Amino acid sequence: MKLWLPLYGTLVLLFLCLPVLIVAPMSFSSAQSLEFPPPGLSLRWYAEIFANPVWLEAGRNSLILATVSSTIALVCGTTAAYALVRGQFTGRSVIEANIIAPMIVPSIITAVALYISFARAGILGTFGGLILGHTVLSVPYVVLVMQSAIRSFDPQIEQVAATLGASRWQVLTKITLPNILPSALATWIFSFVLSFDEVVITIFISGTHLTIPKRMFAELALQVNPTITAVATLLIACNLVALAAMVLVSRRRGGMAGLVQA
Amino acid sequence: MNPSGNLSRTGAGAAMPPAPTPALAIAPRRSPQMLLLLAPVLLLIVVIFDYPLLKTAYWSILDEDTGRLTTAHFAEFWQSQAYLRVIWRTLRVALTVTVVTVLMGYPLAYWATRLGPGWRMVVLGLVVMTFWVSILVRTYAWIVVLGSSGLANRSLIGLGLTDKPVQFLYNEFGVIVGMVNVLLPFLVLPLHAAMMRIDPRLSQVAQTMGAKPLRTFWQVFFPLSVSALVTSAILVFILALGFYITPAILGGGKVPLVANMMDLLINRVANWNMAAVVSVVLLAMTLSLYALYQRLRDGPR
Repeated sequence: MKLWLPLYGTLVLLFLCLPVLIVAPMSFSSAQSLEFPPPGLSLRWYAEIFANPVWLEAGRNSLILATVSSTIALVCGTTAAYALVRGQFTGRSVIEANIIAPMIVPSIITAVALYISFARAGILGTFGGLILGHTVLSVPYVVLVMQSAIRSFDPQIEQVAATLGASRWQVLTKITLPNILPSALATWIFSFVLSFDEVVITIFISGTHLTIPKRMFAELALQVNPTITAVATLLIACNLVALAAMVLVSRRRGGMAGLVQA
Repeated sequence: MNPSGNLSRTGAGAAMPPAPTPALAIAPRRSPQMLLLLAPVLLLIVVIFDYPLLKTAYWSILDEDTGRLTTAHFAEFWQSQAYLRVIWRTLRVALTVTVVTVLMGYPLAYWATRLGPGWRMVVLGLVVMTFWVSILVRTYAWIVVLGSSGLANRSLIGLGLTDKPVQFLYNEFGVIVGMVNVLLPFLVLPLHAAMMRIDPRLSQVAQTMGAKPLRTFWQVFFPLSVSALVTSAILVFILALGFYITPAILGGGKVPLVANMMDLLINRVANWNMAAVVSVVLLAMTLSLYALYQRLRDGPR
């Protein structure tokens, strides 16, 4: 018991981390074949990505898509979270359940539903439609996190400011927003990554528009080539930088614990 | 993470604890302004989520030629061996994945509770880190490890255990390995959080009273953690049901699950009615399991 638990635990942890441990070193391989460990080191696969207009276009699309959809999700989601915490509504539990639903419903179902309805509405394959699809996926997370951030911020502070003569606008911009800003930033980063890595909905509704995950998925289905390893390593690096940024931002104030520690 | 491929992170949030109910000292405001703040999200969800889902449900009972409603598509679904076989395989794979995830994840989560704060942070940090790596990347790595000239096979051949490569990929085994790898954090993180809430004095008391460590674990600690284990396992099962990316890549088209079948029905054969029927069936399974999950999670402890 004393010995086997650490041993077993370490093995499971190794299994969990194996993909990262394998992919990152392989991306610096000089070989054409997927040999591990790599026979020599080189940056040729990275050079290949940056020389390939298809990957560059996919990268640009992914950045625009993630930036726009997470920003829309943050603005809509935060105002909604504020209203849900501070306001009073009949049927709020139904409203809340409906907002959370896209997080629970498997994304393949959402993908089929968006495909059918977008096709009928004539916006299948448009970039705008793709942005809307990604926004719907992010909104539940934004609302959940921002609700808990706003809740943990004492409404009496707002009341005091108002009593002291601050206008509603002043209360919002001088008191409320600065207090929830760290959570908002962290949520934005989370939504950004969510959209940046999204594959299923993108495959269904993006038409001819490329994103990095979509291009990667298509390449994987055909053949395994080392360029993918370099792309994968870049994705790992980006995601970990985002995770670090999120932890840093939210360390100043609680409220994000839910996402980092589940 | 949505594991349904996008599960990559679709599931991420589902692992979060329930939000506490608001305890407002001051009377909440009921003003039109508040409704106005809620409007953009409601509009988005209703138009880009609710309506498409309803439309899909409608397509599952729509007779395209006459414009009337029909149960013919559902009848076709229930009578077809092909569809039912995929559903059956999905359930079997999801169940296997859940069991393996529990067998691997429970000891890891338990081990983390016994470590000092520093090492615990390292272990949990690694788990959270893998959780943040794109599902596509994590799936791809297994091609490198398990492929016919991959790491595993070359080690086996090098050790003389086999003289020709073992087929790890493009079968259920490969798909299950990939899915377990993606889903482990969804079990470990909430389970570990629940284990940390168990009062360590209970185990101490049992040991003071003379119980051996193994008996203390099985009679005191395990029963207290079992409800969290069951809810996390249900979550993993739900996520596994909707997996798309991992079976597509590691199954090589030979191990289609429900999500892959839906892809085929929409993007290859353009059979919207059948895709809609399968969507409704998968949605019904997911939502009823989710209801069970919520009931167990929020019910009396």
